[in-house]
Amino acid sequence: MTLTSRLVAAALGLAALAGPALADFPERNIESIYPWAPGATMAASQVIADAMGDELGVNISVVSTPGAGGVKAFETALSRDADGYTLFDGYVAPLVIQPMKGNADWTYQDFTPLWSATSNSFAIAVRADDDRFDDLSDLIAYMKENPGDLRYSPGVAGGIPHMVGAATLMATDTVAQLVPYPEIDVAVRDMRGGILDFMVTNPGVYNVNKADMKVLAVLSDMEDASATYGGAPLVGAFDIDIGMANLSPSGWNWWLVRKDTPEDVVTTLRNAMEAALNRDDVRQRLLDMGYVPTGFSPDQYEEIVGAVAGELEHGQKAIEWETEKLNGL
Amino acid sequence: MFDLLLEGAPLYFSPASVLLTVLGIIGGLVIGVLPGLGPLMGIVLLLPVAFHLEPIPAMAMLIAVYVGGSAGGSISAILLRIPGTPLAAATLFDGYPLAQKGRSQDAIGLSITASSLGGLVAGIVLIFFSPVLADFALNFAPPEYAAMALLGLLTIAVVSEGSAIKGMLAGGLGLAVATVGTDEFTQAYRYTFGTINLTSGPNLVAVVVGLFALSELFVQIEGGNFRDRPQIQKLRISFRAFRLIVNHRWNVVRSALLGTGLGAIPGAGGDVSAFVSYAVARRLASEEEAYGEGAEGGVVATEAANNGTCGGALIPTLSLGIPGDASTAVLLGALFLLGFFPGPELFQYHADVAGGIFLAYLASNVVLIVLGIVLVPFFGTVLKVPKAWLLPLVLLLSTMGTYALQNSVFDLWVMLAFGGIGYVLRKAHYPLAPIIIGMILGPVLENNFRRALLLSRDGPMIFLERPISATILAIAAVMLVYVTITTVRPRKRS
Repeated sequence: MTLTSRLVAAALGLAALAGPALADFPERNIESIYPWAPGATMAASQVIADAMGDELGVNISVVSTPGAGGVKAFETALSRDADGYTLFDGYVAPLVIQPMKGNADWTYQDFTPLWSATSNSFAIAVRADDDRFDDLSDLIAYMKENPGDLRYSPGVAGGIPHMVGAATLMATDTVAQLVPYPEIDVAVRDMRGGILDFMVTNPGVYNVNKADMKVLAVLSDMEDASATYGGAPLVGAFDIDIGMANLSPSGWNWWLVRKDTPEDVVTTLRNAMEAALNRDDVRQRLLDMGYVPTGFSPDQYEEIVGAVAGELEHGQKAIEWETEKLNGL
Repeated sequence: MFDLLLEGAPLYFSPASVLLTVLGIIGGLVIGVLPGLGPLMGIVLLLPVAFHLEPIPAMAMLIAVYVGGSAGGSISAILLRIPGTPLAAATLFDGYPLAQKGRSQDAIGLSITASSLGGLVAGIVLIFFSPVLADFALNFAPPEYAAMALLGLLTIAVVSEGSAIKGMLAGGLGLAVATVGTDEFTQAYRYTFGTINLTSGPNLVAVVVGLFALSELFVQIEGGNFRDRPQIQKLRISFRAFRLIVNHRWNVVRSALLGTGLGAIPGAGGDVSAFVSYAVARRLASEEEAYGEGAEGGVVATEAANNGTCGGALIPTLSLGIPGDASTAVLLGALFLLGFFPGPELFQYHADVAGGIFLAYLASNVVLIVLGIVLVPFFGTVLKVPKAWLLPLVLLLSTMGTYALQNSVFDLWVMLAFGGIGYVLRKAHYPLAPIIIGMILGPVLENNFRRALLLSRDGPMIFLERPISATILAIAAVMLVYVTITTVRPRKRS
């Protein structure tokens, strides 16, 4: 190759690279970095990604990047360019809990919010044919008489389902053996097999395993949470105050981009996500899967996420209380 | 049983899946034909591509490569007396002499048809047995999973090529690598050395590509002869084998069933089953069939058996999540990473995926019989590709594929590091497959062991109180004692 032809080749190469930057966003497919292993919950993110992709005219793929309680996914997304082609599926664990525990060096203020996506409440469920417990009072009475005798799983240890479960146990001064599972889907198998007595489930898992489980109480104070568990009673109906209210005892996600993403790109993404979440078919599909579209706008981010962060401290304390109790058995 | 196939049909019969089956068979045959590569290498190189596909087309492609690669190895055994894969080692006993008699066309035709029919027989066994085994495994809880993972690790380490001690040491290395990442129970980081890249352990695909593809590359480079082109007879397309194979129908069925049975035992592997079924066929053969001097039955027996082994190895892989050999270990890893957990849940909740995988396996064998025959002249050409072209291609595919997994340069370092480790271990005659199996089964063993202890009211007694886990552990104990005795006592060789 002569020097001239090399220069021409280099110039052509540069032109090809410069092309996309000048064009309208989005030019190519977008990735949404999802922080858990594939499962029932990922399907909800997929519904939103598909609808949002339709609005933008490109494909948005949900990329499962599990590890380190969601931190891996955030780190992965942070390592990408701030060009709007990588979205954070900002679940509360990597967004709020992990920084709170000192496992991540960001705060929720370090991201630019698009829209809030969904929320889902958690519930205490037993085997469908377990006739020891007709309702939550039976379960609590049993645990009071036989402390530490029952075995339960909230899925991953230290997550929100665990916080909510531990908060319920703390509020009723009861204790059961904690058995963590990497994915709550797997715990269902062992509850069905009789080796676990109860679990803290999410609506996605409940929907898939309805026939095998009986929901004793929904751990939320929001009326519409009951509907996602076939009308099961709220924990308040048993005169129990778990010390966490509104969004804080539930799982939720807020889609985000990197802070330094260009403003016009953010606007395009926000508009597309808003339009996607307002579609009736999208809302219905999410509700059918047990996920309530929350629809908080970007300007409510600070107020809502900030408030939740404070309340989660209570859940953290409940876990510490539980650990002490279990160690003392 | 047939419900599974019906549920899987809409998933499998898509243009993408069928096309990828065809391409997978072609790619598998080519890579099987090339000496030194083989089905595992094919799967390894295509693994990164698979993650950009939908689950069923991805699995269809990988399974087709597995099937095609297992069959392709026989062609170079027949033509050059070099088995393309260890699976085809027994094929050269009769395949090469048959070719020397000027019947290379028949030998290749028989090996392809026997492979394909052997695979189909295994496919039927797979479809009948996997759901039954999976159904049984529904009674499994953490103690049983822990026991099963321990048994799987032991068997594979023990039966793998080379000495049992080396197999177990390699398995131990896999277990050690598996401890890197985040502790599932406490969310604590283990051996991550402060880098976020290791918080979910080293990427399995990067490890596999490094360990198998890169180390092979190093070994081949060391071997030299970069420009050698072998001399081979001219080949035509011939359908005579369809007629010839009819004479060997019982041999096909018997060898395929032997292969399937041995394949279903984790660790036994295709090379063992090929030799066993060759020995059986030879004993049952009449005097005038001169085994070892170009008997058709010899080719049929080994090829039906080694492809049967593929189907057999898929049985424990899909129904229990315990891989039957190195290739199925990588297939298992692929299924994990595509979001499906092999085991009873696969059949219960994703019956369509299980059915789709069965169909992919059956379809691969059907495509094999057609393409294997039609492409015979092409394989002659492939065999003449010198290493100087082939090795850079392997390096390019490995590097691009691994990088594209998550656009991570760190993964490339992981690949390179494990390439080096693989090379050193090969030189010291350590088997590599137990490392991958250790990496896959390690977390299954550790987490279920700890979970079982949490569930237990009585410490480790939970493993003995439950009949299934007690039985599995008893088998593992017997095996360990057996290995210890045979290793300690000096071996008598005949």
